[in-house]
Parts: sequence; structure tokens; C-alpha cells
Amino acid sequence: MKLEGEHVFKGPREAVWEMFYDPEVLASALPGTQKLNMVSENEYEGAMNVRIGPVSGSFTGKLVISDVVEPESCTLTVDGRGTPGFAKGVGKVQFVDQGDGSTLLKYEGDMNIGGALASVGQRMIDSVSKSMIRQAFETLDKALEARLAAKSSGSEVVDFKPPTETEFAAAVAKDMAGGLTKLPEVRLLMYIIPLVTVLVLVAVALKNCGG
Amino acid sequence: MAGKFVHQSIKRNEDPDLITGKVQFLDDIELPGMLHAAFKRADYAHARILNIDVSEARKLPGVIAVYTAADFGDYIKPGPLQVPPPTAIKGATYTARTTLPIAVDKVRFSGEPVAVVIAESRYIAEDACDLIFVDYDPLDAVVDLEKAAQPGAPLVHDDTGSNLAGHVFQERGSWEQAVKESDLVVKRRFFINRVAGAAMENRGIVVKWDALAKEMTIWCGTQSPIALRNQTAARLGLFESQVRVISPNTGGGFGPKINTSMPDDVLLTYLAIKLERPIKWYEDRRENFLATTSERDQVHYCEIALKKDGTVLGFKDYFFHNSGAYNPYMMTIPLNTQTHTVSNYRIPHFQTEFNLVFTNQMIATPVRGAGRPFGTFVIERMLDAAAKELGMDKVEIRRKNLLKSTEYPAYTGIIGQDFVEGVLDSGDYPTALEKTVEMIGYDQFRKEIQPRLRAEGKYVGIGVACFTEGTAVGPYEGAKITVGGNGKVVVSTGISSQGQGHYTSFAQIVADQLAVDVKDVKVITGDTGFFGWGAGTFASRGITVAGTAIYLAAQKVHDKALKLASKILEAPVEELELVDGVVRVADVPAKFISLGDLAMRANPQRGVMEPGAEPGLEAIAYYGPPYGATGAGAMAMIVEVDAQTMKVKVDQLAMVHDCGTPVNPMIVEGQVHGGIQMGIGDAFYEELVYDETGQLVTASFMDYLFPQASDMPAKIELGHLETPSPLNPLGLKGVGEAGAIPTPAVFAQAVEDALKDSGVEFTQDTLSPSRIFTFVQKAKGG
Repeated sequence: MKLEGEHVFKGPREAVWEMFYDPEVLASALPGTQKLNMVSENEYEGAMNVRIGPVSGSFTGKLVISDVVEPESCTLTVDGRGTPGFAKGVGKVQFVDQGDGSTLLKYEGDMNIGGALASVGQRMIDSVSKSMIRQAFETLDKALEARLAAKSSGSEVVDFKPPTETEFAAAVAKDMAGGLTKLPEVRLLMYIIPLVTVLVLVAVALKNCGG
Repeated sequence: MAGKFVHQSIKRNEDPDLITGKVQFLDDIELPGMLHAAFKRADYAHARILNIDVSEARKLPGVIAVYTAADFGDYIKPGPLQVPPPTAIKGATYTARTTLPIAVDKVRFSGEPVAVVIAESRYIAEDACDLIFVDYDPLDAVVDLEKAAQPGAPLVHDDTGSNLAGHVFQERGSWEQAVKESDLVVKRRFFINRVAGAAMENRGIVVKWDALAKEMTIWCGTQSPIALRNQTAARLGLFESQVRVISPNTGGGFGPKINTSMPDDVLLTYLAIKLERPIKWYEDRRENFLATTSERDQVHYCEIALKKDGTVLGFKDYFFHNSGAYNPYMMTIPLNTQTHTVSNYRIPHFQTEFNLVFTNQMIATPVRGAGRPFGTFVIERMLDAAAKELGMDKVEIRRKNLLKSTEYPAYTGIIGQDFVEGVLDSGDYPTALEKTVEMIGYDQFRKEIQPRLRAEGKYVGIGVACFTEGTAVGPYEGAKITVGGNGKVVVSTGISSQGQGHYTSFAQIVADQLAVDVKDVKVITGDTGFFGWGAGTFASRGITVAGTAIYLAAQKVHDKALKLASKILEAPVEELELVDGVVRVADVPAKFISLGDLAMRANPQRGVMEPGAEPGLEAIAYYGPPYGATGAGAMAMIVEVDAQTMKVKVDQLAMVHDCGTPVNPMIVEGQVHGGIQMGIGDAFYEELVYDETGQLVTASFMDYLFPQASDMPAKIELGHLETPSPLNPLGLKGVGEAGAIPTPAVFAQAVEDALKDSGVEFTQDTLSPSRIFTFVQKAKGG
């Protein structure tokens, strides 16, 4: 399946890049992410707990970053497997400097999912992942704001508190119940693993490029 | 052929116990020391297995053992063909790749088992499955039926050269000739996706091995207990008599439960011996959707050749049939499609050809209807298309081409699932159509109701279609009838029951023959310990094939009773009669002996017996028809479509069916109602959807919609037509699938009629609201 989407960050490209450079920020934006380890220069392993309706379990994902054009784009290949099934995909991520101090993040790719994730979770996964994406971006917006504020005040302390796993889950449930039609910026057909990996991978990519 | 009980709508013998819960279903069976099995199933539709790590699973407390294919060694082999290859059909070719009980080196459909866990409880077994890690090398999945058949497609079976699993070409007359003589040829392409069996009760099995007696008992809600016993015994090197299969009360079969040599029965029988503990496995709903069996898609390229007056000269059908990953059931479904395409119409030239295709999907085997609805759908849709081209009324074109009541037996020239030429033994198709048209009020609807409602802005439409139902095929069934010393009768037969009312219908046949009360006839089905010969419950054959065997056995017992009574009462047989449970001298009713006493006397414990005499008031009989009896009928439907949401409401449904003599008309009506419900599901709700990588995305009742009672039409009007079959003494024909056969065709026609302003034409079934919407948009050029 195709997946694509975009999000505008209110901050310069360098700051966005820098934020994604910090895997902790990303992990905090997606509660459930257990770890993210570098296994070789362009290869990472991550783990995440997932719960989608009747389907739950832990995933381990392997990702490979290629075609890195700092600070504009890279290609991510993800292969995640776990008890609820598998997800495999390739995605391209771009950061566009909009010239007005904001940064447009665009991503597109192809994703396959299988196992219980596909056979039972299919109907819910779409709305769950949309909700997770929306909230992840919201969290990252706040994180970015806090980082920029800290930077301008010269403070070394970033005043940012990520949502807990419980708060996050509650918000997802609320979105599921309320419908998602009022979210114009989330027009994407995306699944939970690609979503997580896209974001986490962007961070890894940047970390890689930056390092 | 009516009797005191036959042809009477008496209440079912089995219902009081069922309603009050005094029955045993499979999951009620608890045995001392019983273990539980769970299967680790493939997440991929097509992948090579590189490694399976079961070490973590084996460590889980409560796990007894974990096995992969390697642990079974030579025991893992492709299973036997469940039906013979089509060698009777000239030129037919096939490639058999039968079911593997557990994936060996690669997985061929999502849900195929790769490991089996045996544990103290099902919970532990399931948890252990999560601790099995399989390393796969994913391969491109073969999903699209037509693409799968193309050269160069990835291969489901590496050694086959192509995914073609079989090919059959049959022709009567000459299609070329039909085209030459015709004024008009209409062509269409159809896509049909059929449904899951979705029985209320899933599959399951309990196996017990008695190591001292060296006997195995298998409890299984199977439709073919004899085949299950025989295949198990052969595989394990046992005599058939060492294996007893008991089919307990079962919540529906609908086809998929006919399959044996499935992963569960192959592996768990072996493991019950190895572990010397009973094992239970019960399928969950997701497993049922993924990995039992179901029907699947066909793609048809049809042409119909006609004269200007609507006379059909010829029909040509070229189609693909999705066999799934393996083909243990060979060609039963597509052969049924071939025999049900033009069977009821007088079409001199008929050419039908199909390719059976392997795909990376669950195995396809019959589900109620079993290929018949496909054939009915394409011919009926083609008649609709032709009527439109000719500006003819849809009923008129059918009326013109139906076989007349004087044209039977009609030889079709097309070989069917029983490998003999299809013969329409009897019937009256025009009367069925006329009666249906009258019941639905076709003319009034066309002339008055529809124009009035259309003027009010209501999108109402009517559909009418005809069908046949080939039933009661061979090879044979048998029955054993014994009169007890209590004067009651027990009858056992090799077929099994899944809710069809056999305990009553079979008892009705016996009660009439032996002049006992229907409640005094105990019917035993599906227990090989009582009767060990037969084929199974399929093809709407229970009442006709097993029922006739029961009738013949009852007659033998009747004759035996009279012969013995003749000696005891000292009166010639011709002067005796069997009435109300006694044999008496017709002219001297006081001179009698009860059946119970006769049964005792038929089994002398001391003294001498006449040479040649057989003990007991007992007899066995078998019945095998030369070819199946064909039921038939017509269905009409009035629907209203919401033009905004495209939701369809079935306002009225009328159906006339002909199953010869209905042994219990109430049960027959229940069968027809059930079939209609399944047909409505097929037409409107139910769809097995595989994505492009072979993942089944409708593996729960959240996504696989099943019609509810509230989705049934407010009114189902049934008309019974009885043309007794000359093939058997009671004039029986089957009826189990009738309701499911014409429904999709009638539904499509009715919805099309309701939306005729849009010019829409439906070329597939499962017309969900969104699909209807898409078709309408396309018709509008959107």
C-alpha cells in the first residue's frame, strides 16, 4: 500500500533536523518505543510495543538508511516483525525549507503488512495510526517550540514534558471514538509501524548524517 | 409419495434436547489428562522458511512439546486427493498438489501452519506460539487469478512450470454453428467472489489413543467421518476397526467440514499416540477464516448467441477458477459451474472451458452452492444483457428458452462432479417460473407499482431468475436398521449431521415402513462404530442417497418381520400386515405379535435355527444412484435502493422450488430459508478480500459481514412444486443448497432494475453499497 503525508513544523530546517537528531525526543513522541540501537553505520534496530484493538504485541524493527542528502532527504527501508505480524516498507523523507521560517516534512512510500495486523487489525489500524501520527506531530511541535524557546533564552534546560503512555493511549481512544475527519493535515494512509519507523528513522538518519 | 409420517411437517425429534442443552458438542468433551494444541501459522502468503526457533516456546511452563515439520520426518506427506481426478472427461488435464499438514520448506498461504504446540491448556499453547520465531525469506505472492495463470508468474509450487492446476473443455453442439445461425452475439466479463462457510461452530477435533486396547477414538464435527477414519487408519498403519470417528452434535457444516487430512487430524492423531494423552484442538474464528477452506473467485468470459426473437442458440463460457494454494478437492466446484450454466435452458450449442489456477490463498473447496451459483449467475446475467439488447422483457426471454415439462430425462452432454453425463431426471421448469412470477406479482409491479413508486422518487426494482440444483450424487450410502426387544427401531448410517434434521426426516421414512411412531426411531449418524460405510454429507445428498438406503433397509426388515411372524402366527405372509408396531393377521386382528417380541424371537438363545436364516430383525441396505437427481426452481425479488447511500432493502422475496417429495416440508422450508440467507450474504455482504500481497484482510466478523436476521426480507414466500424423481422409490431430490443458488443473480438483476435510469450493469456479485455506488458512477461516466 501507498503511504504519504506531510507536516509543517514552525521552525527553521536546521532546528527540525536537530530535533530529529535526538532519538529520545522521537521515542517520547511515540510512547511504546522501547529502544533504538545502531548496529552498523546505516543500520538500526528498534523495538516497540503495539496495541491495536484485539492485536497486541512487541515488534522488533530493522531499518536501513540510504540516499542521504543532508539536510534535505533520505530513503528508509524498514523490516519490522513481531508476534502480531510483520511490516515491510520503503519510504522517502524530505525536509523543505519554506522560506518563511517553517519546514515542510514530506514522506511517501510503499508498505506491506501481514499476519494478525493485516487480517484482524486492518480496519482499525488506519484510524489508530492516523491518530498516532497526529499526536506524534503535535508532541514534536511542542518539543520544537520548547527547544527554540530554550535556544532563544540561552537556557540549557528544555522545558518539555512528553505525554505518558497512558495519556497517549487515552488520546488515541478519543480520536477513535470521535472520528478523524476533522484532521485535514492527516490525509495519509499509514500504518503504525511505518509511521513509527518513518519518524524514528528520520531521527536516526539525521543522527547518522549529523554524526 | 405421502405416508403417515413422510410428507408431514412434524416437529423435529432432536429439538427438545437441543433447546434444553441436553446434548454434547465437541467442546463439551473433557477427558482425563487431556492436552491442548495450538498452531503457529504463517504471517506470509508466500515465503521460504529459513529457520524456525522453538527453543523459547519449549521452555514455557506447561508446554509439553513443540513440533515443526522436521520433527515428524517421513510422516509429513501431501494428503490424498479427496475426490478422484477427472479422468472420465475426455482431454481433461490436471496437476495435483494436495494439502501439506505442516509447511516444510515454504509457506504457500497466510495462515498455513508452520509449528504445532501441545500444552496443558490452550492458553499456554497460544502463548507458546508467540515465542516461536520463524525466519522467512518472503517471495512474491500470486494473488490475482488471471495474472497467476500467465506464463512467468511466480510459482506457488516450484516444480509445476506454471500455476495451472487443471484444464477442462466440454462442448455440446458447436458454438461456431450457433454464431453462424445467430442474429446477435452478446459478450461480457464477470468476476465472482464467493464466500466462507462461516458455520456457527468452527472446526475442531478431540483424539484419544487407548494404548492398551490399541484403539483410537476421534470426535470431530466432520461431514465425512468414514473418510476421516479410513485416511487416519491408513496413515497410521492401523485397521479401520481400530479407529472410531464420532461426529457429535455440530453447529453447521456448509462444505468446509468435508475436508479430511487437514493439519489437525493428520498431526494430532499422530501426537496422541506418541504422547499417550488425549489432545483437543478447537479452531478460533481467525483460523477458520484464514486456513480452513472456502470458496473463492472465478473470472468468466461469456458469449451468448441469439435469434432476434430471443431464442438462445448458443452459449460460450471461458473461465478461471481459483484453487488456492493446494487442490485436494480437484475440480468439483468448476465442474458444478459447468453443469449449472445452461442446464435448465434449451440451448443446443454450449461450449464451456476452464482453467484451475493455484494462488497463494487458502485452499478452495465447496461451500453451500459449490460452484452452482457461479454458473447460474453468468447465464442469468447474460440473459439479462441479451434481453436489454433485444428490448425484451426479462421474464419473457426465460420463458422462451426454458426446457418444457415434457423434455425429461434431458441429457446435457456435460460431465459433472460425479464424472457421469449430467441428466435432468424430471422437473417442470416453466411452471416453477410462472408460479414465481405470479407470487411476486410481476405484471402488477411492472405496470402499476413500480411506475407509481418511481414517481414518488423511490428506486424500486424487480428481479426474476431460474436455477437447477444438481443433488444427490453417488457413489452410495448405506444404512443398518435394527428392531430392539423394546419394539423401538434404531437406524444408523454413514453420513453425519450438522443440523439438517436427519434425526427426524430419516425417522419419518423408517416409521412409515415399520409402522412405528416416529419418536420410537432412534437415528445414529456420523459414528463409524455403528456404521462404517459411506461417502459423506455433501451435494445435498443426505435425504436422497442415505434416505433411500434407509428406506430399502426398512423394507428388508419389514419383509423379515413378516416372514418370521408368518411362522409364529401360522399364517401366510400375504395375509399379514404390519400396523401400529405389531404384525397381525389382516382378517383376525387379535392374532398378532409385537415387533419387540419378534425381535426377541429373531435372536434365539437356545434350540435350533432354520438353515439360511439370519438372526435379528435387522437389515443393511445400500443405495447408489446412476446419476444425481436434479432439483430446480425460480426466485423473484423486489428491492428498494436508497439512492444516496446505495443501501439495498429486500422488500419481498418469492421462491418456488422442486425437490420432488419433501419428506418433512417444514424442514425443507428451513433449508430453503437458510440457503436464501447465505445467498443474500453472498449477493450483498460477504466477501473474502485478499490484498495484493496475499493477506486476507477480512479475517474476523468485524470485516467479514454476515447478514443478520434483520437483513432478511420481511416476507419470504415459498411455493412448493413436486415432480418426484424417477431415480428412487420415494421420488426424492435434495434441497440443501437451493436457496443459495439463484439469489446473487436475482439480487443483481433487481438492483439493476431499481437503478435502470443510470444504465448501470453489474458484472460481479457481492454488491455492497460502495460497490453499487462505484458501478453507478462508472455508468454515469464518472
